[in-house]
Amino acid sequence: MKKCTVDMPSYTYAVKAERLLKARGYPCDIKRNSGTEKGCGFSLVIRSGCREALMTLDRYSIPYTLSGGGG
Amino acid sequence: MLINFDNAATTFPKPESVRAAARNAAEKLGGNSGRGGHALAMKSSAAVYSARESIAEMFGAQPENTVFTLNCTHALNMAIQGVMHGGGHLIISSMEHNSVARPAAALAAEKRISLSVAEVYPDDSRTVESFRKLMRPDTKAVVCTLASNVTGQLLPWKAIAEVCREHGVCFIADGAQACGVTDVSLSDGINILCTAGHKGLYGLSGTGLLISDGSFSIYPVIQGGTGTASKDLRQPLLLPEALESGTLNIPGIMSLKAGCEFVRRTGTDAIFRHESAVCSRFIREISDIPGIRVLRSEGASYVPIVSFTAEGIPPEELAAELSDAGYCLRAGFHCAALAHSSLGTENGTVRFSPSVFSRTQDAVSLAAVIKLIVKNKNK
Repeated sequence: MKKCTVDMPSYTYAVKAERLLKARGYPCDIKRNSGTEKGCGFSLVIRSGCREALMTLDRYSIPYTLSGGGG
Repeated sequence: MLINFDNAATTFPKPESVRAAARNAAEKLGGNSGRGGHALAMKSSAAVYSARESIAEMFGAQPENTVFTLNCTHALNMAIQGVMHGGGHLIISSMEHNSVARPAAALAAEKRISLSVAEVYPDDSRTVESFRKLMRPDTKAVVCTLASNVTGQLLPWKAIAEVCREHGVCFIADGAQACGVTDVSLSDGINILCTAGHKGLYGLSGTGLLISDGSFSIYPVIQGGTGTASKDLRQPLLLPEALESGTLNIPGIMSLKAGCEFVRRTGTDAIFRHESAVCSRFIREISDIPGIRVLRSEGASYVPIVSFTAEGIPPEELAAELSDAGYCLRAGFHCAALAHSSLGTENGTVRFSPSVFSRTQDAVSLAAVIKLIVKNKNK
């Protein structure tokens, strides 16, 4: 899985995740998301190295929900 | 010209960097932080996050556990009601401000919690012991001011935090008078730090902080829009948004970030030394005035606050005369009835509190005015 989108519980966690991943060389961007089941929120689009990036988020206990994979 | 010696209520003047940050936010950060994905909103959101990050670092916390509030009272209410949600035993100190005493007393009056008050003494070991003795199996939290807003007495909070840790009890600290003049860090055992942004941290009025170490859950007593999960009628429980419903005070937050950076640049040690020197000189100047009582005790430590009384002159009357002469000092009970009851100051006190910008020569001329007022009253 190279590219994926994860829904973040808040803007704060989205930025925290973005900073963490970018510092480790994973290209990613925050996107406003209104299409989730719970309503509006923020997503993180991880453009490559998704599997390893998600493992990094897990390691730092950053909560997220995988909403779209592929690529 | 007015000279402000009521900086314990709110610091004034503010550093230029603080005023510039607020101006810049008012002019350029027009989007609603955390709400929407357009460029203006995202720019504000990023600015707020940068403030969270900078302030968290100052207090040894994580950005996501750093909550912006309206003031210290707001933070304390959320912490006390949020941690005590579901009941239990709460201990507060006898030096607490009404921002602690009132919500605690209200919960006790509604029989939602049981409440004990730990006496504070000039001798730190006796103070720590009074907290330790009140611990019970159902004790859930201790709320303790780091420094009294009436006398400035520093409480032995690191030792009290240790007692809390031994008992698995949440230690909620009121840092309103200590933050900015002493080093305060969650690493010293504080579970939840509540503080004002507009006092020793030099932010604008309408700013405060609740900073958690994440080890105790805080039920959100204020609920509403958080910019996320809007279809879910349940309040999100993750900090900081769980406790930040509604639009944030972005100019205030940016001013607070600048204020904290000002404090870090200047150094809490240097600020403490300067303000304490002004206090010492003021005490020296007034201590030989007949009938003046300075509320300081041998053996206790103080932040730069001096409370005093003048025999035969009600504090409010003395403060009014000082105001007429251009000196702004706070008189009365300082919203801390428990503390005044403990100190035996049934008519209140007059409080002198300098800031980093205060000048010793102004404290000396203030003392001369007090001397003159007392002399005229005793004629």
